[in-house]
Amino acid sequence: MVMKRVLAILTILIIGYWMASALANVPFGADKMLVGQYYLNHVKEQTGAVNAVTAVVVNYRGFDTLGEVTVLFIASTGVAALLWRRKKERTAKSEGSIVLTTGARLLFAFIVLFGAYIFIHGHLTPGGGFPGGATIATAFLMLYLAFSAYEIPHKSFEVTEGIAGMGYVTVGLIGLAIGSYFLFDWIWQTWGWGHSNIGRLFSAGFIPIIYTIIGIKVGTELTGIVDSMVKEPKEGGE
Amino acid sequence: MNQYAALLIALPLISAFFVPVIKSLSKKVVMPFLVLVTAVQTGIAAWVFNEVYSSGKPMIIMAGGFKPPVGINLYIGHFAALFVLIIAVTSFFMAVFSMKAITVEPKDKYVMLFLLLMLGATGMIATGDIFNLFVFMEITAISAYALTAYNKTGEASEAAMKYIILGGIGSSFFLVGIALIYGSLGTLNMAQIAQLAGRMNPTVAQAALAMLVFGLAVEAELFPLNAWAPDAYQAAPHPVTTMFSAFVVKAGLYALARVLYLTHAVGSWGHVLKLLIVLGTLTVVIGELSALRQTNVKRMFAYSSIAQVGFIAVGFALGTQAGVTASVFHMVNHAIVKALMFMAVGYVAFELGGVNLEDFKGLGKTMPLTAFAITVGAISIIGIPLFNIFWSKIQLILAALKAGKTGVIALILGASLVEAVYYIRLIHTMWFEEGDRDRIKENLIFGTIMLLLVALIIIIGVAPNFVWNIVQKAGADIYNAAQYIKNVPLLPGVSP
Amino acid sequence: MSISVYYFGAISLILIGLYAVLVKKNLLKILVGLSIMETGVNLLLISIGYIAGRSAPILSEGVGPNQAVDPIPQALVLTAIVIGVATTALALTVAINLYETYKTLNIEELRRLRG
Repeated sequence: MVMKRVLAILTILIIGYWMASALANVPFGADKMLVGQYYLNHVKEQTGAVNAVTAVVVNYRGFDTLGEVTVLFIASTGVAALLWRRKKERTAKSEGSIVLTTGARLLFAFIVLFGAYIFIHGHLTPGGGFPGGATIATAFLMLYLAFSAYEIPHKSFEVTEGIAGMGYVTVGLIGLAIGSYFLFDWIWQTWGWGHSNIGRLFSAGFIPIIYTIIGIKVGTELTGIVDSMVKEPKEGGE
Repeated sequence: MNQYAALLIALPLISAFFVPVIKSLSKKVVMPFLVLVTAVQTGIAAWVFNEVYSSGKPMIIMAGGFKPPVGINLYIGHFAALFVLIIAVTSFFMAVFSMKAITVEPKDKYVMLFLLLMLGATGMIATGDIFNLFVFMEITAISAYALTAYNKTGEASEAAMKYIILGGIGSSFFLVGIALIYGSLGTLNMAQIAQLAGRMNPTVAQAALAMLVFGLAVEAELFPLNAWAPDAYQAAPHPVTTMFSAFVVKAGLYALARVLYLTHAVGSWGHVLKLLIVLGTLTVVIGELSALRQTNVKRMFAYSSIAQVGFIAVGFALGTQAGVTASVFHMVNHAIVKALMFMAVGYVAFELGGVNLEDFKGLGKTMPLTAFAITVGAISIIGIPLFNIFWSKIQLILAALKAGKTGVIALILGASLVEAVYYIRLIHTMWFEEGDRDRIKENLIFGTIMLLLVALIIIIGVAPNFVWNIVQKAGADIYNAAQYIKNVPLLPGVSP
Repeated sequence: MSISVYYFGAISLILIGLYAVLVKKNLLKILVGLSIMETGVNLLLISIGYIAGRSAPILSEGVGPNQAVDPIPQALVLTAIVIGVATTALALTVAINLYETYKTLNIEELRRLRG
């Protein structure tokens, strides 16, 4: 027993020393940018966003974001597949306190609105689709905590998730058709909408569109995960 | 026109997202939809293969229209074209097999996970950017976690848990490796990393490459991070096990080889190769010895598969063109043979309900076609002439001879000897022992697929030159980093 | 050899997480350790992108292209966080299934029960 702990600590110290000696040669705070400097210099004219991180995530490295959205989709599908039972129901023993139920009723709309604000303004302020979607899912989680019989309409959330995902790939395919590259920003580069609006809401090409799609997708996915985990199999069913 | 090859990625993705919509219309249509999508994917992969091999130039797909390294590019060279085709064809066969073999609900989620597993492996092989490799690796891994636990038995859940923990550790290490590479070079594009590799500090390079190797060793099933593999192969649904063995592990091995050979200009490259040879050798030794003790046939095949993967890793670790080509040849042959064997075992389990050695008694009389398929597969793995793996083992031995590593030759011969022991034991049980069941009518479609794979094994065994030419080009694709850099249209304004 | 305190913090988190995964027996503690490890890696990635004296890469008034830190590690970490969340969700689901089948979360008991 002690042997195992000693071995583990030894392994960890060796790995730690090794990583530290490698990191000693990567100076902290020094300017090591190569591709990063190009992004900063050209982000306003090539993408129209002022938030460079957003432009990198959606425009320059949009393929990675497609993969990330897929990963979350796999997680949601996997959770639903593994917790699948013939009949499921909520088994909460009691309602939330009066503060929780009243607060949930009042705040639900505002939280959803705040989440929508985060993903709509992704190209101007920090945030974007993922935090926005997570905020919306938090609103639904609050409803689950407050009311013992609340359930989301599961089927329609799944269909929304699927359609949102298809929407993202379709935007990429339209880019393939119009600009002959997959995920080409056809709104900014071919149609030229919003060129005079940099720094305001209606600019940045297809970034708001993609972030809206991602926000809806992430919101419905995380809510679906919460829903699958909270329910338990009905007595007498599977 | 070339950019349409991006459909290789877009098609499975949009089909996976489309499944919930189809399911709400009609549940029965979901499985045939899977067969349709994999068939279309095979068609696109065949077109890409044809384009790349007839013109000799790789297809570079620039996502977003930005030139690398500003944007992400997909690099579909000879190796990628070959393997994307293998992935598509294997998925098509497994989709057909799944129609009967999958009985656990919810089937629509199975279809989605299947498509995304295929997408992840395709992406890992086609990408030209190291962080994109990480993202596709995670897509593959997370689909694999969910599919391993799909049958929801206690065994499946435990196998999935082991896989998730090891996979999580592996992916964290991989990210540390990426952080070190980005910190010293400032770019994530594979071609640019190859170009600038000589500037990396040797200490940093050694640590970064070792971290990358450890991260990929989980997917590539190398010791000691392959503890999840036997359990996962045993507990996963049968088509899924076949997919793991036929292409998921190959995608991990390819990524390993690609990362290694692109950075061969760094000062400490030799050390990393030594690490890989040690890992590969241990994988082979432990895999073969464990296979000897198994009574569950599916688990025995799993250990045998792990040992073959060790051979491939050792081949890559030789550091020569011949070693790389031999390993690629072994990857192709192994994919065909293991696809056949796991499909056959899955079919036996489906018809007879169990896969212990006792269930295989007298299989020659009960299911002669399946028994014949398993026999051909077993004989070819041992390395008997006239079957395909004989040629790839010979190539591995020749490459080791040229590189002066005689220990590797002893390893290959010793391992083949051990394989002969347990495979001949299986063949003896199937044909020369009496079982107590009657003849079972075997499904025509599965029989056809198995016979097709058997025919491929024998054709490659008798006349390997056609495949060998293709494999040589694919091997040169991996080994020749300078050519890789030349093929990628790097933006001139972005270099130090 | 001296390294910055941020690198040291990130490496410590990774090692603490790794220790928990290797040594702890309760499945949930192992998963928490995995989560800590992933947080440490994200912290390491972001610290690599920092450039002394510069501010956030949002190019509005006052922040030009030469006064912003590197935007790439931040984009990478966004993706890495989401992937970590997905892995954790799936791991917890498998833990739920394990508990329902074997009624224990102790990994030594699980090994014993499976035989």
